[in-house]
Amino acid sequence: MANPRPFLAPLSRIGASSIAIPRAEIIRPSILPYQTLRCASQKSAAPKKKKKTRNTFLQYDLKHAEQFALVDAMQYIRAFEVGRNPASSKYEMHVRLRTLKNGPVIRNRLRLPHPVKTDVRICVIAPPGSKAAEEARAAGAVLVGEDEVFNQIKEGIVEFERCICHIDSLAKLNKAGLGRVLGPKGLMPSTKTGTVVNNVGVTVRNMVGASEYRERMGVIRMAVGQLAFTPEEMQKNVKAFMDTLKKDIAQMQDRISKEIHEVVLSSTNSPGFTLNGEFKNANSIPVKELSGPL
Amino acid sequence: MRHLREVRLLWIRTGPGALILPKEVSKISLEFHEKIEGGHRGAKKFWRTMLPRIKYRNPSVPIQITRHKNPSGPATLNIFTKPTPSSAAAAAPTTPTHSVDIKEMPELEVLAQLVSRTGAVEIQMTEEEKEQWREIEAFNKRSEADRKMVRERLEKEREDERILKLARGEITE
Repeated sequence: MANPRPFLAPLSRIGASSIAIPRAEIIRPSILPYQTLRCASQKSAAPKKKKKTRNTFLQYDLKHAEQFALVDAMQYIRAFEVGRNPASSKYEMHVRLRTLKNGPVIRNRLRLPHPVKTDVRICVIAPPGSKAAEEARAAGAVLVGEDEVFNQIKEGIVEFERCICHIDSLAKLNKAGLGRVLGPKGLMPSTKTGTVVNNVGVTVRNMVGASEYRERMGVIRMAVGQLAFTPEEMQKNVKAFMDTLKKDIAQMQDRISKEIHEVVLSSTNSPGFTLNGEFKNANSIPVKELSGPL
Repeated sequence: MRHLREVRLLWIRTGPGALILPKEVSKISLEFHEKIEGGHRGAKKFWRTMLPRIKYRNPSVPIQITRHKNPSGPATLNIFTKPTPSSAAAAAPTTPTHSVDIKEMPELEVLAQLVSRTGAVEIQMTEEEKEQWREIEAFNKRSEADRKMVRERLEKEREDERILKLARGEITE
């Protein structure tokens, strides 16, 4: 307050001049960017039209698609798979459904007449010498027992891909503390995954050579055969698969209606071939030629 | 579907390698390195481009491929034949009838070797297939021209946008 002049002087100058000028000077810089912004934003300002949501999957008209008999498709697939390791290449089926996007999905497992994968090693935890253990052995389990199995696993020897536990042995299994070894491998038996069972023999038998399938995005995909299969073997497998699928669909009939739209056969290294449901047609090559080794 | 029908299936039906092997040939086997270094490029190309066509036309002839891990190892084409065409039940021979060294050999030459050793008959393209190939070529040509057109337009739009931004002072060079 000692020297009020420097503060007062500008104020007095403002008061002396016209009021409109300083106001315009203050406002203009803020107006300019606003105007340019408005120009640029005019395009994006319009709200985007919301796409109408669909509750079914897109279906294509199969009239434009060339469909193949099984033998013809196999001839092409075997040619595309030339020189590959026959153990690693598999035939695959893709079944397209006419169905809702949201809703119950088909999920099941089945045993094909000619199993795709037969080398699944199964471990069964059941009291040695019991009826269940005998059943498991007979059904094809590799490892059966209790304490000896536990000791083996604790040492780190896990030579199996599936593990099943009999209900009576569950307490013993939990006491052994194997969750640390088996858990990360996804092998720990539990009732939730259906690997703690009463009837061991049936479960093991179903597991050997059985494969699971489920519907994803309106398509069911499953490996149905080894590359070395003959057309007849493939025919049986495809038939078995389709029959089970139709039964599944029929079971769901009261809740939701599903229809089979398209059946595609492909393999690991080949394009997909839409099947027309026939085994062979007039121009197909003899079946014998496709039966030999690759 | 267009791609499957017109490109992949036509590709496997026609072109070099579409030939019919004589009945004596009982097996074909190839051996080469896992990678192309050391002159194994032709062998690999032969497998990827021509063997599917051979297999499509001769589905009953087994074709086997062995790949080893040694770049300086052999690259061979082995052709097994039955002793006489009449005795089909004869045991499969263990030693190949013809063994061709295909190291440093382009794939077409490998095919020529196979044809000259076995006397295979090439399948000529039909007029219909030729027409389909011409259509594919025309389609590819057109799509390349279209791609160029779209690219030019896009680039022009982006350049205009950039210049506009520069003029507004939103970006500096």
